[in-house]
Amino acid sequence: MTTVAKNEAGLKSLIGTVTSRSVVVVERGPVGEFAHAIFDENPIYQTPGAATAAGFAAIPAPPTFSFVMGHWGSFPELQPSDGASLTSIFALVGPHLPPGGLILHGEQSFSFERPIVVGDRLVGTGTLTDAYAKASGDKTMYFIVVETSWREEKTDDAVCSSRFNVIYRV
Amino acid sequence: MTLSAANVSVGSKAPVRTHTLTRTDLVRYAGASGDFNPMHHDEVKATGAGQPSVFGHGMLTMAFVGSAVVDYVGLENLKTFSVRFAKQTWPGEVLSTKVVVSGLRTESGVMMVDLTVSVANDAGEVKVTGVASAVVQR
Repeated sequence: MTTVAKNEAGLKSLIGTVTSRSVVVVERGPVGEFAHAIFDENPIYQTPGAATAAGFAAIPAPPTFSFVMGHWGSFPELQPSDGASLTSIFALVGPHLPPGGLILHGEQSFSFERPIVVGDRLVGTGTLTDAYAKASGDKTMYFIVVETSWREEKTDDAVCSSRFNVIYRV
Repeated sequence: MTLSAANVSVGSKAPVRTHTLTRTDLVRYAGASGDFNPMHHDEVKATGAGQPSVFGHGMLTMAFVGSAVVDYVGLENLKTFSVRFAKQTWPGEVLSTKVVVSGLRTESGVMMVDLTVSVANDAGEVKVTGVASAVVQR
């Protein structure tokens, strides 16, 4: 078995592994600041009046906010007891990748049941869903796909999900 | 103005968003997202790593075209949004969004619009490409 095939088999053995589980609270300040940071001055992201006038239950978040909301709202006392024991995605795949490569964010997808709104308490579960290797000239590209589903903490209703495709080129 | 069955057809275009990227934009996005990869804010480290300068977060470019999609379809109607990151963005570049209707279909009695999305600089170099889909209110 070649080294690439061996690495690929190692990565494939991780498919199905839960890589993260966290509870995130969505707050007004971070949502508004995120909207300014993406040059979006739509008032629905800033004022409750504009949001409700547009038909939202509360101030909504822009579509890519779920990618960053853990930075703001994953308060330690809210985290599930089994969340902390999970290994980070990079620690998980690291042993199956040769050193010295370049990490690239290749693709990103979101799907929505409804917009995230201020006041949401969401449970996110990340799962490594795919891994494969591809030749690229004299280099190898290892692809790792992680999908995160976000559900309401209280009702378990699905809110949105995201798919993160990272490339390790070596 | 939200998209409706009366004003959409294949080839329809969303209003364009344009923005000239600055280093301050990258710092603000770093703070708003928690992405403090120094390649996006530390000129010394970026040039030391062989880059011509700091460069933009891919997720900022995605969010930028996401706003153009939301302007057009309405946030509550957006169902899917995906991009592939093609090229880095650089401070000083004038970035513009392109959102075009590629298809209309009915799914379980609901009218849906499919969009192709991209961001390019003023020389036409494409930074991200992707697709989105949304419900069209009748």
